[in-house]
Amino acid sequence: MANVLIVDDSSTMRKIISRSLRQAGLAVDDIFEAGDGIEGLNALAGNKVDLILSDINMPNMDGLEFIKAVRANGNAVPIVMITTEGGEDILKEAMSSGASDSIKKPFTPDQLNEKLGGLL
Amino acid sequence: MTLNSEVAQSAHLQEADLRGYVIHATKEVFATMVMMEVEDSAPLQEPINKFHCSITGMVGLAGTYTGILSIHCPKHFAMAVTSNMLGMDVDEVGEDVNDALGEIANMLGGYVKQVLSKGGLDISLSIPTVISGDEYTINSFTDSDCVLIPFTFGDETFMVGLKLSKES
Repeated sequence: MANVLIVDDSSTMRKIISRSLRQAGLAVDDIFEAGDGIEGLNALAGNKVDLILSDINMPNMDGLEFIKAVRANGNAVPIVMITTEGGEDILKEAMSSGASDSIKKPFTPDQLNEKLGGLL
Repeated sequence: MTLNSEVAQSAHLQEADLRGYVIHATKEVFATMVMMEVEDSAPLQEPINKFHCSITGMVGLAGTYTGILSIHCPKHFAMAVTSNMLGMDVDEVGEDVNDALGEIANMLGGYVKQVLSKGGLDISLSIPTVISGDEYTINSFTDSDCVLIPFTFGDETFMVGLKLSKES
């Protein structure tokens, strides 16, 4: 069973992702939540996390800055972007910064299962 | 109300194309995230800027194109939408409803950005803004360069608006 950190400024989206992870039947144990990249880094510091699901467009510290900060700390945990940002260039930047994959909002539990099944 | 001619020329889009994208995006977001199959109606011919007992979620676009994508719902329908999104009863307009409407606006704005942007870096989406109240006015929809599309779910009606202009 894996621990997952969800980083998204929308509490609604965090709840939907959390529920979808359970509905998809993925092997998830604890789910931690953070409202931006700064809270995400704090959550990482205090918990064992096996997978990060992060939005891109967030206040204070956005998803791209967050990935870079995680990698700068030497943490190799898989990071999957869950975002409305579907542009090729912005996703390329996310991947070159250290993201493992991306999922476009809106999504279904089946799409989550397909993308995350191999990571959990 | 029409699509700004400079936007149409620059993006090689007709108003019907953009309207079609907004309709498709709205139906997909509601079907996937809200579990509601909504139907579109003919776009409004006259702008609406006064809202009663409603809640409005908006996201701004800035860069090559600037504009606002908005969704306007009666409060009671916004609570039903939030209930469906969260899978729990919601009986007041508070943080959950505000957040849900903002997130819907964000997802719809993401679709519009994808249609207009070359790669995603030339247009930025703002953090969503939400307004609610018994009576309020939004002045951005008083001019002609916008599209306002009504949608229905059963007896309920809500609107999605898009105002766009091209940066010179």
